[in-house]
Amino acid sequence: MLSRVAESLYWISRYIERTDGMLRMLKINYASSQDAVAEFSWSPVIRIYCGADNGLEGTDYNSRSVLQYMVTDKKNPNSIINMITQVRENARSVQDHITKDVWQCLNEYYLTIRDPKLNTMLKKDDPISVLDILIKQGMLFYGTTEITMPRSEGTSFMRLGKYLERGIQSVNILDVKFGSVDHNPDLLTNTSYWKHLLLSIGGYELYLKTYRQGFEAENVLAQVVLNNQFPRSVIYSLNQLIKYFDLLKSGGHINAGNMSFLIGRLQSKVKYSSIKGLKQDDLHLYLAEIKSELFGIGNAFNHHCFSLS
Amino acid sequence: MTKNKHTESYNLPNNTWDEMFDQSKQVRSEYKKVMDHLDLESTEELNKKEELSKVLFMTQGITFTVYNSGEGIEKIFPFDIIPRIINATEWAFIEKGIKQRVTALNLFLKDVYSDQFIIKDGIVPIDIIYSCPHFLREMVNVKVPHDIYIHIAGIDLIRDNDGTYYILEDNVRTPSGVSYMLENREITKRLFPDLLPQCKVRSVTEYPNVLYNNLRALSPRQVADPTIVLLSPGSFNSAYFEHTTLARLMGIELVEGPDLIVEDHKVFMKTTAGLQQVDVIYRRVDDEYLDPLVFNPKSLLGVAGLMNAYRKGNVTIVNAVGNGVADDKAVYVYVPEMIKYYLNEEPILKNVPTYQLKNKDERDHVFANITNMVVKQTNGSGGYGMLMGHAATPEEIEAYKLEIIKDPRQFIAQPTISLSSAPCYMHGVLQPRRVDFRPFALCGPDGINIIPGGLTRVALKEGSLVVNSSQGGGSKDTWVLS
Repeated sequence: MLSRVAESLYWISRYIERTDGMLRMLKINYASSQDAVAEFSWSPVIRIYCGADNGLEGTDYNSRSVLQYMVTDKKNPNSIINMITQVRENARSVQDHITKDVWQCLNEYYLTIRDPKLNTMLKKDDPISVLDILIKQGMLFYGTTEITMPRSEGTSFMRLGKYLERGIQSVNILDVKFGSVDHNPDLLTNTSYWKHLLLSIGGYELYLKTYRQGFEAENVLAQVVLNNQFPRSVIYSLNQLIKYFDLLKSGGHINAGNMSFLIGRLQSKVKYSSIKGLKQDDLHLYLAEIKSELFGIGNAFNHHCFSLS
Repeated sequence: MTKNKHTESYNLPNNTWDEMFDQSKQVRSEYKKVMDHLDLESTEELNKKEELSKVLFMTQGITFTVYNSGEGIEKIFPFDIIPRIINATEWAFIEKGIKQRVTALNLFLKDVYSDQFIIKDGIVPIDIIYSCPHFLREMVNVKVPHDIYIHIAGIDLIRDNDGTYYILEDNVRTPSGVSYMLENREITKRLFPDLLPQCKVRSVTEYPNVLYNNLRALSPRQVADPTIVLLSPGSFNSAYFEHTTLARLMGIELVEGPDLIVEDHKVFMKTTAGLQQVDVIYRRVDDEYLDPLVFNPKSLLGVAGLMNAYRKGNVTIVNAVGNGVADDKAVYVYVPEMIKYYLNEEPILKNVPTYQLKNKDERDHVFANITNMVVKQTNGSGGYGMLMGHAATPEEIEAYKLEIIKDPRQFIAQPTISLSSAPCYMHGVLQPRRVDFRPFALCGPDGINIIPGGLTRVALKEGSLVVNSSQGGGSKDTWVLS
């Protein structure tokens, strides 16, 4: 497969995964913001998805303006509209490698988010309806790919993008959430803080079934990092990453370089880590290490598969 | 016979051949079933169909992007819902005429790039060939597989007021528009359920298969599964949709210049597993941009070293390089002579009478009658740089004359041909608009194949004779009946 095509497929998938995570996060946060939770703040969300250095510093983080900034603001490079535009541009240039259904689905997503009516709704009506419309477009993409895409190398590259992005997001969310505990130790025992974290990544119901004794930071951490049944967990993402990487490697589709080593090492590190009793400082270091190794894997893809010249 | 609502409101233009109505405003037999069908539909239903066609083009991404103040705006190529219909007898005539013409043009290219008998025998003057910017000395004595230069031809036909078909121009470089032939048909299937089979319309879906098999047969390496690619200038090109459609329908790789590399006079594409040799390139990049080492050194669209690989016979380029000398408008004048010279046959399809402005007599005649003339640049395309004498202001004419005198070789003139009209559904009624017709001929080792259909382009402005999409033209689905 052409390197350029593989790279486009990988990024389509990464961007969709990111927008999906972001939209769900926005939805739960918006709902909490309407709940008059005393300690509610938009700043962790903005830090997770737009970095610390964003154009929103100094504003009052009012829900409507944050939503507009995150969803339809073309000046924010990380906004949903800009990511979907990237997705569509990538898809347009690989139309012969995605099925017609997948192309039409992404093209529709693009037309939906660019519809001025959507922005008006976001300003004036119920923002959850807007977020739901967009989440549904993402779901359509996942379903359409599942049903129509041949299980060939292209799909494997898309899955690599998806699970790498998912792993990075989960680690990022944990890091930011546990980081906030530094400034406000009361949060560590605040039930609604952890419940909210789980809700925003869709792990609430599983948590209730696994841990009966209420919300504890340590258990939340264990689920989000180590529970292989939780599809947003770090270990699940890594296992999937290995699965699709091995498929590409055994099919002779890629120049593997040192990537087997990088991915295998990270998987072992996560799999055999014990989270119980990790101190606050060590925890930050632990998460930062995982994150930097995930970035390392992303760079290795760039180097070995995408930038052949 | 009572006349229906569509017939009544239709203003048959004077002194013009209309595709649907004859002079006594009777519906021609090939349009009968369609007209009966239209009469059953209310204005609301037809408006709904028009709306549906726009939605379908938009959601399927059959669009081109216009970049305006940094923001891309998606546009659709205007489509008219009423098909243009060609009956079986007419089609058989067109098919025969185009096969003859393309055969002669192909022989001409082989001749002009090797022995040049046609020049030595005094049929085509030598200065016409050597002054043509598309005559490439780099191609002289290059052997192309099966002696085929023109693999894909788009021949533009128009009809004068008595219904006679004329060849307006030959496009044998990188003719475009075939994706609209295919997509317009798909849209019509949705707009008029059951009508296509009722009318016994011939299918156009074979096009990608025929083209693919031809491309495959041209591979220089004798391998079971040669690598065939479509070379596109990239997603900013206005025909990008066509490139992706064709690549998808043929299952071949869509590549851009930077995806390819030449090593040891062989062309490779860069894949995730390393380099893979390329055998056939269906290019949609003009000659000038193909290889920065040989042609335009500033080109980023091509591949350095491609021409050498081509001359060595390690890769096949489709259409062949240097074909522009055959569709130059000054050479066009000689095509009927070529047909007689190479094939010993009378031309089936006529040329539009053409004046060469390099000849003083003809130039004087054209200048004296310029309001009845269309003046064109010999190497122009897309309707750019044209002077429509009947519509131009005196100042425009004077300025254009000065241009002509500077380099008369670069211009030809033709008497204004009115073009036939066909009904278009606009603002709730049928209105006549001028059309031309571009069928696509595919030439492979097994002969020439013309898919029964083509692109009907339509001038959407009332009274306009310019159908080019860059000048406000649209398109129609074209039905060839069996």
